Amino acid sequence: MRLKKRSKADTEISTASMPDIVFLLLFFFMVSATIKTEDEKLKVTIPKAQAITKVEKKFLIRELHVGFPKNQKLGSTPKISADGKLLELNALGNWVQEQKTSLGEVYSDQMIVLLRAHEEVDMGIIGDIQSELRKNNARKILYRTLEES
Amino acid sequence: MIRLKKPKSEPKVSAGSMADIAFLLLIFFLVATTLMQDKGLMLQLPPDVPPTETPINERNLFKIRINSKNQFLIEEKVVDDLHNLKEEVMDFVLNPNANPSLSESPDKAIISIKTQRGTSYANFIDVLDEVKEAYYTMYGNRVGLSSKEFRALDKKNPSQNELYLTARAGLPMNISIAEPDKIN
Repeated sequence: MRLKKRSKADTEISTASMPDIVFLLLFFFMVSATIKTEDEKLKVTIPKAQAITKVEKKFLIRELHVGFPKNQKLGSTPKISADGKLLELNALGNWVQEQKTSLGEVYSDQMIVLLRAHEEVDMGIIGDIQSELRKNNARKILYRTLEES
Repeated sequence: MIRLKKPKSEPKVSAGSMADIAFLLLIFFLVATTLMQDKGLMLQLPPDVPPTETPINERNLFKIRINSKNQFLIEEKVVDDLHNLKEEVMDFVLNPNANPSLSESPDKAIISIKTQRGTSYANFIDVLDEVKEAYYTMYGNRVGLSSKEFRALDKKNPSQNELYLTARAGLPMNISIAEPDKIN
């Protein structure tokens, strides 16, 4: 009889540590999720495609954005931006070299440039970027597209 | 003053809603963080060396041109829409009936995409997509998979990697993109 009584009293699980557990989860997600800062300066709508593939080594990816500036003062010609900063075409070579150094010797030749370009820009600027990438020996290019449903 | 004095038991804050608040925060972060997006059309650009004259048999070259008015010229024919392009590319590369105007052999076939400065990026992506889809369908057919299944093969898994390598053997994806023309 005495045993039964005690076990009855113990059945309630303490929820006092619940907030701690949830906060731990929260911090885990905050740390592990790489928050992608959307490019504020340019308007980019990426095109859709079917034959898309996934990159296995994500750390090789470096992003370039191409689109029309949101701010009218910056003009209405398509602009290039990387890491939230506008880049001129002649500064692109420097950017590529910087990114290659940041990857280290082993992987610098495998760098993948992810081109997130607005679907309405014309091929002129895309071609300019490509020739600049070729000059700096960054020859893997990934045209970012959405999956066509 | 005496009335304002609070009873001693009141200052205790209830911790019961703490979990709810934390969950709310957790869900907010889960929704707000978009993970790194890494899907798209991969292409290898040619090295930056002065172009050398390599003799290419005209029949091995499948030419796609897009002009600044966004009109397509495929193998010297003006085309309005691209829905046949995938079949044409597959026919051209594999050449099952040994047609003398199509490619000599699958490994010699080259798909050339040329644009002009005024061509819209969306059109270029459409064409590139169709060509890549044609190749992935051919790879898939060789190992009895669909294009989508082939693209999803995991190269870290030995048996899947073998399938991938068998499918690609002797059928390189030769896509050449020329610099956009200055004129027009």
